Order: sequence, then C-alpha cells, then structure tokens
Amino acid sequence: MPERDVLLVVLTVGVASVLMRVGGFLAASALPSRGALPRLLRLAPGNLFIAFATAGVLEAGWPALAGCVAAVAAMARTDREWAALGAGFAVTALAAALG
Amino acid sequence: MRIPRAASPAWTAFRRGFVAALPFIVSNGVGGIVMGVAYRGVGLDALAALAFSVVVYSATAQAVTLGLWAAPPPLAAMALACVATNARYLVMGAHLRQLFAEVPRRVMLPILLLLADASWLMTVAEAERGRRHAAYLLGAGIPMAIGWVGGTALGHALPLTPRGPLAVAAAFLPLAFVVALLPTQWRGRRSLLPWTVAAAVAIGVAATLGPSWAMLIGGAAGTAISALRGDDA
Repeated sequence: MPERDVLLVVLTVGVASVLMRVGGFLAASALPSRGALPRLLRLAPGNLFIAFATAGVLEAGWPALAGCVAAVAAMARTDREWAALGAGFAVTALAAALG
Repeated sequence: MRIPRAASPAWTAFRRGFVAALPFIVSNGVGGIVMGVAYRGVGLDALAALAFSVVVYSATAQAVTLGLWAAPPPLAAMALACVATNARYLVMGAHLRQLFAEVPRRVMLPILLLLADASWLMTVAEAERGRRHAAYLLGAGIPMAIGWVGGTALGHALPLTPRGPLAVAAAFLPLAFVVALLPTQWRGRRSLLPWTVAAAVAIGVAATLGPSWAMLIGGAAGTAISALRGDDA
C-alpha cells in the first residue's frame, strides 16, 4: 500500500479511536446512562467479533478455522490473551503445514 | 533534623496506579510484539507500525483494520469498524465524567488518550475503595501504553521473515486478537441465536458486498436480535 494511503488509514482510524476515548467524557450529559443506547453498546461487541471472525475464516480457509478453535479454547481455559495468540498461531501453522 | 515532606495526593495516586499496572508492560508487550510482527508482514515500515500503535492505541481496532487491509484502503469501513468495536469507551468516558466531574477538561482529556479497558476497571475499583483520583487512571495507563507501543516496535524489529506455514500463521494473527476476545463476550445459550445470525449474515455479506462490510452488517444483525429479545449484555 502506498505511504499516502497508510497515513490516511492511521489518521482515519486514529481520529475515530480518539473520538471514542474522549467522546463519552465530553458528551456525558447528553448520553443516557440507562436505556436502549447503553444496552446496544454492551450487546454489540460479541456480535461484531463473531461476524469479523466468520468473514476472516471464510477468506483464510481451514487453517485459520483450526487456529480460531485453538485460540478460543486456550482463552477459555487460561483467560490469558498471550496464551490464546500462541495457541492460535501454532495450530494455524500446523494446519497449513498439513495442507 | 529533616522533616520528610508528604507526597501530594495526586503523586501518591499516580504512583499507586503505575505500580499496580506494571504487569501490563509484559502482557501488553506480548500483544504488541504480535501486532508488530503482523505489521511487518503486510509490509509496513517501522514508523508506520509505531504510528498505528501510538495514534490508534487499541488492539481490537488495529487488528480489525489489519483484517480489512486492502488497496485502496476501505477507509469508511475501517473507521466504522473502529467506532463499532470501541464504542464501549463512550460508556466508560461517561462514567469517568461522573467520577471526576471536578477535574478540568484540559487535565482530563490528555489522560483519556491512554484510556484502556483494564485502566478503567482498575480506576473504578479504586474509587469504590474510597480512593478516587484521576491521577490513578493516568498512572495505570502509562505501563499499558509502554507495553503496547514498545512491544510493537520490538515485534517489527525482530528479524522474522515468515515463509510457508509460518506466513499463513502470521497472517492469522490479526484475526486471533479478535477471536481471543470471544470467550469474554459469550453469555451462554443466550448468545447462540444472535451469534449464529451474525455469522450467517457475515457470510452472505462477505460473498456479496465483500469482507469489508461483513463485520459491521453481520454484527448489527446479531445485535438487533439480542436487543429485540430484550437481552442486556
């Protein structure tokens, strides 16, 4: 990807990230603490993650699926992100080597 | 005889947060190393990799952005994905406003640039113990940022040029970041239907509109099912 495009991505995603970090503090009086909006914000992450994972596996094939299963199992067992990343990496590499 | 000066409450709170968060230098560092390796894998130079981790400073947003990596970059989808995955910060920020209503914005806003899930949780827990101070949030945020940014630099600098199966596994890493979060979001059988809908819609969208929109539209569909059913987190 050209450098200009990389810079655009950093700035775009960076601005979005900063707005999320400071937005809640700045707009606290406008944000309801109860009701539909906070409930949607709590419900959204799991659904977004599973949709992202599904599309990613569809694109990357069965080694990625095997890696996902290993990462989820390791995270569920250890509650350690590094363990999940390591298990996912190892199993994906193994599955790719097996063809 | 010298009379020792008492440390200011802000310094004490900062130091307490900093010390409590020191283990995150290692845990965030490992994640950062993985992200650095992934950035190197897509051909980013060291400066761009560091810029990502400093400016965006969000494992989820950075992993999702890498998952959507394409030329030309789908900027709208990337920004929306970042907003969707980081929207929880809005709730955290609103809660922090209630905790630190008296702290001026010029002090609080720079501290919020280092806001992370763990530092927010630690600060809320500290406030519940009767030790409410914004300096604690800053102190806790610094080791986490050092771990993440330092890890990214280290991972990018590692002399790794994955080939064959290792290259496949390296390309899997951004996906692994997000997948590792799934168990934290699983709410038992209640999650089954919305997650199935989210996955099915994502497959349909990936096949028609492309993978850039699969997460957003699939995630929205699953969230709608949960909300309509009356679920609450």
